[in-house]
Amino acid sequence: MKLEPGEIVLEHASRAFSVRADQGRTLKGLLIGRRRGGVEPPPVQALRDVSMRVGAGETVGIVGRNGAGKSSTLGVLAGIVPLDSGRSGCGGRVVTLLELGAGFGRDFSGRENIYLNGALHGFTQSEIEQRIDRIIDFSELGHFIDVPVRTYSSGMFVRLGFSIAAYLDADVLLIDEVLAVGDEGFQRKCLRRISERIAAGATIVLVSHDPGAIERVCDRVVVLEAGAVVYDGSTAEGLLFYHRLIGTLDASPQDARRPDTTAPLHVSGLELRDSGDRRSQIFHSGQSARIVLSLQAQPGFSQATAAVALELRDEHGSTVFRTRGEPELRDGRADVAYEIERLALLGGDYDLAVAVADQQQFARVTSFSVAHEPGAEGIADLRGSWKELAASDRAPTLPTP
Amino acid sequence: MNLGLLRYRYLFEQMVRRELRQKYKGSALGVLWYLVNPLILTGAYTLMFGLVLKPFRNIQDYSMFVLIGIIVWTFFSQSLTSAAPSLLDQSALVRRVRFPRETIPAAVVTVQLATFLALIGLVTPVAIGVRGTLRPALLLLPLMLVALYLFALGLGLVVSVLHAHFRDVAPILGAVLLPWFFVTPIFFRTSQAPGVSHRHWLGSLLTWANPVAPFIDAVRSILYAGRVPGAATLIYVLTAALISVVGGLWLFRRLERELAVLL
Repeated sequence: MKLEPGEIVLEHASRAFSVRADQGRTLKGLLIGRRRGGVEPPPVQALRDVSMRVGAGETVGIVGRNGAGKSSTLGVLAGIVPLDSGRSGCGGRVVTLLELGAGFGRDFSGRENIYLNGALHGFTQSEIEQRIDRIIDFSELGHFIDVPVRTYSSGMFVRLGFSIAAYLDADVLLIDEVLAVGDEGFQRKCLRRISERIAAGATIVLVSHDPGAIERVCDRVVVLEAGAVVYDGSTAEGLLFYHRLIGTLDASPQDARRPDTTAPLHVSGLELRDSGDRRSQIFHSGQSARIVLSLQAQPGFSQATAAVALELRDEHGSTVFRTRGEPELRDGRADVAYEIERLALLGGDYDLAVAVADQQQFARVTSFSVAHEPGAEGIADLRGSWKELAASDRAPTLPTP
Repeated sequence: MNLGLLRYRYLFEQMVRRELRQKYKGSALGVLWYLVNPLILTGAYTLMFGLVLKPFRNIQDYSMFVLIGIIVWTFFSQSLTSAAPSLLDQSALVRRVRFPRETIPAAVVTVQLATFLALIGLVTPVAIGVRGTLRPALLLLPLMLVALYLFALGLGLVVSVLHAHFRDVAPILGAVLLPWFFVTPIFFRTSQAPGVSHRHWLGSLLTWANPVAPFIDAVRSILYAGRVPGAATLIYVLTAALISVVGGLWLFRRLERELAVLL
């Protein structure tokens, strides 16, 4: 099959997977399994007669419920999963971002992993060297790029993984769900970078649960249901079709990530800064940090102060810390910073939510990562030291039960 | 191999470097460990067969004789045992990125080669000194080492892809390698084995039915005896290398399709 760079073709593609708890076959299983063929559950048809043709420079979003065959489709397009019947092909250089962390050797630095990942996608050393500065820049990992990736939080992994995929200059970029992780600022930057790739003529296939991302990026949507294409057409129609399919046509809950500028008081600016007062999303434990906020009031707003609440959540959504403040408003706005002398958090990804005045919902959310450090685990950084005690200083002996 | 692999040679380089680094990480002696092991084995065999039991008392410089056999065998067996689980170990890569899967077992075998070459580099001057084997035959040594590498590489490809399909290949390999070691002429010379003199068929069997034997024979005749290996041995060695690498690649290509699903 001869394809132009950027062209994608799937013709009558079908693929079934056998579902077994124990994936590994053994010789014994091969010999005995034949005799009791009835025990095995029937294979799951992941793709049934899927056909689609994507021209160079198109951007296609694939949506569908869990298990509808989205990831299988990407696997097939990437040439990783072979078909039972039908044909598939991608023209030109294909870069896949299927799951984060592929190729990340834990003891290797971010920089070394860029080389390994580039090599995995068939790039030579000089081709990678031409791109590495842009990759590191885009990732915003700063000096963490030379630190072993085992200290990275998952948010930092996303940064590195996406930056690599985004700057390898593929003809076809296959992206699976990864944009869902990571902080808002970085997501926006990723989408911008994707648009640049689109403008440069790259073909993009994006699988995502987030209709927002698909809407912003894709001009065509394919809806999969039980391994078959049930819709293929314009994005607006396609997402409507998808919402109808899964029964969530009613208004989705208000997006806390977008500011409501019609509210009497809203957060117009939010930024995290590190000890050098530079904008940053990545911190060390124990570093100082500043949360810089701008609040804007509507003309009719009568109060002299604005009540704000800051809430810090860990990656599971549990509250780690919450505080309130009442900065004064001058000419209808307030510019303040909440200064943290010592960021007593251990490695992980955190969300910072800001709420104003009478609103129940948090108006703005931003995310940041703290790099893992040896010697402690958990959330709170209470690292101290062990000390030997003199006899007079001993803890009282516990009564024996 | 083919052009596709050529494009991925940088990947191959990266993988070898990665393996090497992980292998020697945190060990103070580093590559020296890989010398200690054969030396200990050589010491034990010299003690038992050279001094205590003395079945091969007519083999001169018995330690050198054994040492050469052991390092060749160690390269061969280590290549297979480390290649077998290699695809499984790298399943994260196999499931997510498309690249020539041969690179994984090939990198593992090449890492073994690096250790092996370091050992050969240390042992060769000693062998020349002890045995006076600085002869033209030495020029054939690189060719033999290349053949041995290709032979191990082909079998490495086979065991890695088979193990991905049938998880009991690695344990079977473990069970086979020990008896294989004992029938391989490592601590004895087939022609001088007491039981072989009146049973020629047994001698031929031990020499030709075991594909590792001619490789050891060839390296040993160059380093230990200073002689060009016999024509039959040379032809055997080169043919075995060719069959192994071509057949191994053929089988690997046939069985690699489903790897991403299997792993």
